[in-house]
Amino acid sequence: MTPKTATPEPATPDREAVFQTVTAVITEILPTVAADRVTGRRRLADLGADSVDRVEIVVGVLDRLGLQAPMAAFAAVPDLDAMTDLLTELLREGSTP
Amino acid sequence: MTETVGIEALNVYCGTAGITVPTLFAARGLDPARMANLMMTARSVALPCEDPVTHAVNAARPLLQAIGPEAAARIETLVTSTESGIDYSKSVASYVHEHLGLSPRCRTVEVKQACYAATAALQLGAGYLASGVSPGAKVLVIATDVALVDQDAHYTEPAMGTGAAAVLLSTEPQVLTLDLGAFGLHSFQTLDSARPGPTFDIADSDRSLFAYLDCLSNSFRAYTERVEGADFAETFDYLAFHTPFAGMVRAAHRKMTRDFAKDRLAAVDDDFATRVAPSLVYPAMVGNLCSGSVYLALASLLDNGDVADGARVGMYSYGSGCAAEFFSGVADADSAAAVRRMRIQEQLDARVDLDFAEYDALLQENRRCLVPEPDRRIEVDAYRPILDRYGLQRDLLVYTGTKDYGRTYEWATAGDGRNPWPTA
Repeated sequence: MTPKTATPEPATPDREAVFQTVTAVITEILPTVAADRVTGRRRLADLGADSVDRVEIVVGVLDRLGLQAPMAAFAAVPDLDAMTDLLTELLREGSTP
Repeated sequence: MTETVGIEALNVYCGTAGITVPTLFAARGLDPARMANLMMTARSVALPCEDPVTHAVNAARPLLQAIGPEAAARIETLVTSTESGIDYSKSVASYVHEHLGLSPRCRTVEVKQACYAATAALQLGAGYLASGVSPGAKVLVIATDVALVDQDAHYTEPAMGTGAAAVLLSTEPQVLTLDLGAFGLHSFQTLDSARPGPTFDIADSDRSLFAYLDCLSNSFRAYTERVEGADFAETFDYLAFHTPFAGMVRAAHRKMTRDFAKDRLAAVDDDFATRVAPSLVYPAMVGNLCSGSVYLALASLLDNGDVADGARVGMYSYGSGCAAEFFSGVADADSAAAVRRMRIQEQLDARVDLDFAEYDALLQENRRCLVPEPDRRIEVDAYRPILDRYGLQRDLLVYTGTKDYGRTYEWATAGDGRNPWPTA
């Protein structure tokens, strides 16, 4: 067992990096949305994403992060903060040996 | 045990009227930018003198006329599949059995699992036929539903259809020979959409679309565990999926390519156009047929694709709640000819193009369709101006009301007599 250290392991998912990935995918799927409008308290619908866009965004983010997670887990996330938290958690679970 | 079982005949009924999606978007003040992802052109609209029983009979009757009375007499199981039930006890099938004039030596039953149930009935029926316990028997599965949506459904309103698909199963399949034993299942409990009462639906669109996609991947994975060497990109010449709206199927195909054929992602649009788009022609003109949706997609594919040299079709059926199945079958030139005889494109083109005022006037009455009322009289003549404008002349069963809770029906004629259908 590896003892815990004060500095994070390089593989530990960085929430900020996850949020940047979410932002990048959103601005790809919704080209008219400027990156600075993508904030944690907003919902995808607030940014003008219709149901197909929301599917494409979740699929795109999972793919970009190399995650094989059920889509159903994302049905109940209230905003982008919650989506980022869930993705970060999934990455942590995935990175646990 | 017989090895050859499948769909002998297939027909749909998608109403006598419809409204175009641009007309509905304009009248409801919906954002026209969203039409691109919806990929829908029109939705079918029922008349208040129609219900799940009339839809079912109007889909199946031309099919029975085509096979003739002797063959029809071999139908020994009638299953109606619907999420538009008319009674807690009495099935839609009981009325349908009467108005199709089926043999009394016939099981009648109704099944329910949102948009999936017809596929469950098809698979159970196919297994029964394959068992050989009743040689020469036929099973008639009719998926039939009505829509209850109005402006409160927002972008779902333009995507909801109405109508029925009649699927005749036998050991002499002309339309689709099922790959017996080749299927994958995925079901779990979720409240993504439901119809808690006779006048309204509840729906959580993200929960539903995400469950549809999870079930698609998981049921296909289960299929590959049963079918050695099955490959999403290579095994199926065509794909026909349950179609809540055509844009959803495009998104599903893209996700499946990403999940199971990532090296083909660069050509995903071409693959969609080749293998999927033929199945979406009719669904895009009709809206979500609910229980019959995947069979409308199959009819669309057989009329608009090229199966002359033999083609394997991958089919995906999903019903909220939820239950899903990926299965497959083989079609050929006879399949295309059998479906073409039903003149489905002409039936759809014959629908009356409603303006918004006509459409809006029908909505409130249509919402009473499933409400149990002891006595009600529906004046069919009130809808004569629409029925007369239907572009084909045909007999239709119409719903005339209730008497002591019993539903009453009669035969009427649609069209102005200048364009008879079906032909003798």
